[in-house]
Amino acid sequence: MRTSRLVALVAAVMFAASCSGGGGGVDVDGQGGGGSGGGGGTLIAAISAEPDKLDPHATTAYASFQVLENVYDTLVVPNPEDFSFEPSLATEWSTSSDERTWTFQLREGVKFHDGSAFDAADVVYSFNRIIDNDLATAFRLEAVRDIRAQDRNTVVVELKQPAPNLLSLVGDYKGMSILPEGAADEHNLNTEAVGTGPFELAATSPGSIELTANKNYWGEGPFVSGVEFRVVSEPTTALTQLSTGEVHWTDNIPPQQITSLEDDESVTIETVPSVDYWYMSMNFERPPFDDPQVREAVAYGLDREAITETAKFGAAEVNQTAIPEGSRWYYDYAPYSHDPERARQLLQQSGTSNAQMGLMVTDEYPETVQAAQVIKANLAEVGINVSIQVEDFATWLDRQGRGEYDAFMLGWLGNIDPFGFYHAQHTCSGSNNYQNYCDQQTTRLLEQAATETDEDQRKELYDQAVKRIVDDNSYIYLYNPDVVQAWAPDVSGYQIRPDRAINFETVKLGG
Amino acid sequence: MAGYVVRRTLQAVLVLFGVSVIVFALVHLVPGDPIRLALGTRFDPQTYEALRERAGLDQPLVVQYFDWIGSALVGDLGVSFRSGEPVTLLILERLGATLSLALGAIIVALVIAVPLGLVSAVKRRSPADYFATVVSQAGISIPEFWMGILLILLFGLYLDILPPGGYVPFGEGPGDWLLHLLLPAVTVGVVSGSILTRFVRSSVLEALGQDYTRTARAKGLREGLVLRRHVVRNALVPVVTVTGVQLAYLLSGVVVVEVVFSWNGLGLLALQAVESRDYPVLQGAVLLFAFFFLLINLLVDLLYAYLDPRISYS
Repeated sequence: MRTSRLVALVAAVMFAASCSGGGGGVDVDGQGGGGSGGGGGTLIAAISAEPDKLDPHATTAYASFQVLENVYDTLVVPNPEDFSFEPSLATEWSTSSDERTWTFQLREGVKFHDGSAFDAADVVYSFNRIIDNDLATAFRLEAVRDIRAQDRNTVVVELKQPAPNLLSLVGDYKGMSILPEGAADEHNLNTEAVGTGPFELAATSPGSIELTANKNYWGEGPFVSGVEFRVVSEPTTALTQLSTGEVHWTDNIPPQQITSLEDDESVTIETVPSVDYWYMSMNFERPPFDDPQVREAVAYGLDREAITETAKFGAAEVNQTAIPEGSRWYYDYAPYSHDPERARQLLQQSGTSNAQMGLMVTDEYPETVQAAQVIKANLAEVGINVSIQVEDFATWLDRQGRGEYDAFMLGWLGNIDPFGFYHAQHTCSGSNNYQNYCDQQTTRLLEQAATETDEDQRKELYDQAVKRIVDDNSYIYLYNPDVVQAWAPDVSGYQIRPDRAINFETVKLGG
Repeated sequence: MAGYVVRRTLQAVLVLFGVSVIVFALVHLVPGDPIRLALGTRFDPQTYEALRERAGLDQPLVVQYFDWIGSALVGDLGVSFRSGEPVTLLILERLGATLSLALGAIIVALVIAVPLGLVSAVKRRSPADYFATVVSQAGISIPEFWMGILLILLFGLYLDILPPGGYVPFGEGPGDWLLHLLLPAVTVGVVSGSILTRFVRSSVLEALGQDYTRTARAKGLREGLVLRRHVVRNALVPVVTVTGVQLAYLLSGVVVVEVVFSWNGLGLLALQAVESRDYPVLQGAVLLFAFFFLLINLLVDLLYAYLDPRISYS
């Protein structure tokens, strides 16, 4: 009796162990390949965080977009070289003379993963779903007055005011994906996906998402029979798995490992400057940081080279504005140097003594914690006593939202158009202007730039605004980090991108 | 006996109810807003309000509690804020990984602790005893993540004989399941085993000093029989208690080891839930952990009666 109870317990455990996690049980190896032959095995990618949900319109998690990039399509896509926009589901587009009406010509013969044909109604449905439900990407369609299908393959977008960056707004990333009409009613989009992309969602289980090649894909790929995303949060584990061939690709690479990986012949590693930027910001409502001279003192007090070296081990470019060199929107403006003497003078002139600064950072982004050490040392030299406040990200955001901080450090990721880099952060009523910077002239310039359709004039307006933002130290810009990714030598055709989009459409295995 | 089990079960229900109130209150007291977090830094007031309403967070806390506990009573623990999946599904998907690791680790722990503890007690103050003390001290002191990484580098990379992390369900191949289980189970088991070794040693020492042991020896029993029949059996009761506590602790997830070996168990789920302030998942997970503790305590108590006939629950 007693023995049998024990046996029953063990049996129950074995049973549970065998049942659960079975969602990942689909073996995609050997299944038919993609549109252009395919069949070249399953590529296994180790990503560092678990995707939260797969609804492209609702998630904000980078990990989710790593997967969604391969499953969904948008109207247009950014070219990884110069970030001009290229055709994807839309093949051509034109604007009316008043720039308030955009007409998109759609690709013909495209099929969703459920077999239904893609047409204009799907675009109208997708964008209206975002607007009507106030989903996470709704702010991108704020300028839209109406979207309608002119015919099966033509979509017309009416705007409240000209939006020269409309292509960027609808094409930056897969947050603006096109779903089949009615998809949200027929599917649980958090766990299911119905796209037009090169891969279809096959199975999900804790820590793993499996995709199979879309045989009806309209583009040239895919050339592998599937992709499996595995969550491996410990970098040592990810890199060991890459070396032993257990995974083919990873971006879970601590910057201090780059040099040793470059010498490792069993691994291909590449870096490219990203469009992300990291910055420090002070609370304009809290003395002494309401004083422009105090903020300027901080800007002169920082040793940006040392901060960047400590935070990223050299895998970053120092920059005193947000947009990286190489972008057509880059503005070469760097008024500050590391000058503690000047900083002390400025502080003295402002009449500030014994300045205290609570610097809020988060272990969600360890580079902010590391950089904070240097910032503290730099500012101590100048006469500002920094106390580093490490918070978990939930508390961090809470404090930021309520304005309960002196200063913080964080980054903005994945912007392409200058509107995304500057507008919501530095206009007086900007929804992300947590520092409460309000300069009427800057706001005017940014608002003009947002609707200016002549690209050269638009650049000129942004340059003027950025100069004011940097001079007023609304943000103290620090650096643009590199994108760092590594893959096995038998992976070919992969392109590393500055916007961190991870696309396996053209990848081949065993080449 | 049956009456005892019923009584204990009723008590457990009361305790679980109390836990549910405390967990709910604590989870909502923690600073941080799940909706803000879901939106990240790109904050838009309209989207924020819409999401809050959809998640039911605009309701008074009392209403939220009764909504939650009402559904929980019929087995519905709600839907994750983070992933939009049912909490019960999220837990069930990870239960196998956690049970495998907890059971594997406790077996490793016992395999280490029982012989080591026994030898060090019987051969007290001998080199064997000192060896056992050093080993168990080391096992407790070495951080799990460090030992895990060392094991991965040694067996996964240099010797290349074991997979460096990942979980394979038993149903997908018992061999693979075992291979993947070995490293994490040893990592966790060494720590638990080190703690257990000390308990085995001290309770065996205590039993050795008892009158009944002296009597057994006095009546001429061979030392082996004395140990087996009188010492070990009596020493087992406290060891079973501690093993039970260890097992319950392991069942509530070993986050650090789960991270190192990308082992998707309940610990990682709970950690993620804390980080993203995913109230439904966190509440569900803590409730489950409380249930594990109650269940194992009950099993341990019943095991006492088997090990020691003097204990009776009738």
